[in-house]
Amino acid sequence: MGVSKSKSKSDATDPMAAIALPNRHLLGIEGLDRPTVTSLLERAHSFADLAPREQLTHLKGLTVFTIFFENSTRTRVSFDLAARKMGASVVNVPVATSSIKKGESLIDTAVTLNAMHPDILVMRHQNSGASLLLSKYVNAAVINAGDGRHEHPTQALLDALTIERRLGYIEGLNIAICGDIANSRVARSNIHLLSILGANIRVISPTTLVPKQITEMGVDLYHDMEEGLHGVDIVMLLRLQQERMQGAETPSQREYFHRYGLTREKLSLANPEALIMHPGPMNRGVEISSELADDVERSLITTQVEMGVAIRMACLEALAFGLINREGKDSKDKAQGIS
Amino acid sequence: MTSTLFKHVRMIDPASNTDMIGECLIEHGKISQISDQSGGITPPIDAQIIDGNAKILAPGLIDMRVQSCHPGAAQKETPLTLAQAAARGGVTSIVCLPNTNPVLDDPEMLKSQCRMLAGLSDPVHAIKVYAYGAATSGLNGESMAELGLLSDAGAVGFTNATHAISNSLTMRRVLSYAAMLKQPVIQHAEDPVLAAGGEMHEGEHSMRLGLKGIPDAAEEIIIARDLALLRMTGGHYHVAHISTAKGIALIRAAKAEGLHVTCDTAPPYALLNDIAVRDYDSRFRLSPPLRHENDRLAVLDGLADGTIDAVASDHSPQDRDVKSLPFGLAEPGYSGIETLLALMLTLYHGGHLSLMQVLALTSYHPAQILGLSGGQITVGAPADLALIDIDRSWQIRGQTFASLSGSTPFEGAPVQGRVLGTWVDGTRVFDPKS
Repeated sequence: MGVSKSKSKSDATDPMAAIALPNRHLLGIEGLDRPTVTSLLERAHSFADLAPREQLTHLKGLTVFTIFFENSTRTRVSFDLAARKMGASVVNVPVATSSIKKGESLIDTAVTLNAMHPDILVMRHQNSGASLLLSKYVNAAVINAGDGRHEHPTQALLDALTIERRLGYIEGLNIAICGDIANSRVARSNIHLLSILGANIRVISPTTLVPKQITEMGVDLYHDMEEGLHGVDIVMLLRLQQERMQGAETPSQREYFHRYGLTREKLSLANPEALIMHPGPMNRGVEISSELADDVERSLITTQVEMGVAIRMACLEALAFGLINREGKDSKDKAQGIS
Repeated sequence: MTSTLFKHVRMIDPASNTDMIGECLIEHGKISQISDQSGGITPPIDAQIIDGNAKILAPGLIDMRVQSCHPGAAQKETPLTLAQAAARGGVTSIVCLPNTNPVLDDPEMLKSQCRMLAGLSDPVHAIKVYAYGAATSGLNGESMAELGLLSDAGAVGFTNATHAISNSLTMRRVLSYAAMLKQPVIQHAEDPVLAAGGEMHEGEHSMRLGLKGIPDAAEEIIIARDLALLRMTGGHYHVAHISTAKGIALIRAAKAEGLHVTCDTAPPYALLNDIAVRDYDSRFRLSPPLRHENDRLAVLDGLADGTIDAVASDHSPQDRDVKSLPFGLAEPGYSGIETLLALMLTLYHGGHLSLMQVLALTSYHPAQILGLSGGQITVGAPADLALIDIDRSWQIRGQTFASLSGSTPFEGAPVQGRVLGTWVDGTRVFDPKS
């Protein structure tokens, strides 16, 4: 399949090889620098290289809470698994069945959860900026697992990891992000991340699903998919976010597939070995033809899911490392009488 | 009632465009004598003498857009806290929106609200309270409210408060009927369908933040339509808190055309832009939203050239529960009545407006638009006055507000201009020393 096994220099089994992030939390890709991103990816490569049943203890004694205000299967399971593989205890806070849905405010929830002293909080919320708000009220490190239409940083990181696994590099690649840009946090995080890593990014979307100001983020904008696919190395498809749409932003799924659904025919306009990615869950026959989605030579979709666990291990470890370093510093400061 | 002599004050009267050092005597709740001579007025023997030290004596502010929250939202503001906040801000008259609970679409409701807010709250801080009547029953936007009865009960205009009257037929009828009653129609110009679900101004920042945008066209569309209706109906049309360059251009053209059109804005639209939202801080969640820098500059131009007639605080207090939420879920609004004058003086200190313009925009012009008696310093006018030190600097801190709501987009902002005293009908309602 040509998946190049990593040349990672990082030792997955060494907890001291953890990456330090510039911030206490991981709320978005915007604002991260290239060295941080590169070392985080390298660390994730080392976790991806581990044997499937390998159990680490880097996060032993730490508690990770996942709290998802929006439904999710893969992201939540992926974080859960990543935390357990690192030796952490995981509590999946049920939202749908709890008092949280019954009108308790996000801040009340944060204060309540904070009293249980979690070390890391993984949150997904339907409102942009919700994870930033949460981070102001808790002692834990917060990972944004998706906030409204804003960012989904671990998704972008896993996408980058997936590309590196397959191709070995990102710099200079022509990457097309296609579909519902307006409602997509994955698109925003990926534009930030792939820009940091030196890719040439274009977005392909109908006028009703992309804000024209998107070009301010340094991307080229195409409304014609066939034109936009020329010379592309990677086609990233986005899910039509029907739950985040208001009314009809496209005439019909049939028309969407006709103009923006990826078929083998349209893919032939891209570079010969062009690869396909999709953050899932896929709408087969809307964003992509079913047959193409299952083509293991061209589709990286299952690798993306696999890499999700490795990147989240690296992110959890990095935040835990930061917490412990801060605590160490705090207690040292206390011992020395510095407040 | 005692009389008061202001000695050595700089009197600025936007009604007559005069600015002079002198003395001013108030008796029986009215301005009885004005002199440009020191010692030119011989006060009654029991008069209280206030030495102004050349500070400014101006008409008390007339705040033409206030959400009273009474009745129906005592957790956001009470009549007493509102009156205290107004007095501290040098505001002597407020005009309340009808979006109370119950709605002010009934003449008895309107009368009792004005009485309640003005009189019963606390005579020490009593201010003058006026109210707009609801333009449509229950603010439903469809069927006309009892505009004639509301007018007789004292309504100073009609509005659908924080929502536009979006039904064109209803708006035509309201404009037409209000014209017959010689009352203005005050519009929140925002197309509710185009702006549906909107969280902030639509532009580069909404795109980056992933917040749903409210395009400037939402304001432009409603104003353009209303002007078309106004050409048919005649009457007086007033746009509240105008915030876009396009909207201001339409008003400017309508005035040139000779239509009876006025508009106001609020300090946030003259002083802030949509970049402020960058940290999803709900203090910056306002309606209309903070706009692009070009819109802000157009607001400054509109204020300077007179296209924008007035500035209101747009006081819309919110409690912590509805502000401590993710940006898009937080209620729009801010506590503004205490900072209206200081923020407007920022524009004077910054060289954008003259002192005369600042005071006209916040007192005389609102009085003219709504046909109220205040807003001037002339013999015989009600003694609604503010004594102001325009140079005194301070820092805006929501925590220190008299208003129940401390949420302000100007938190921490340094400003220049402090109210030293406020008088309503000759009675001092605010003294910073007490």
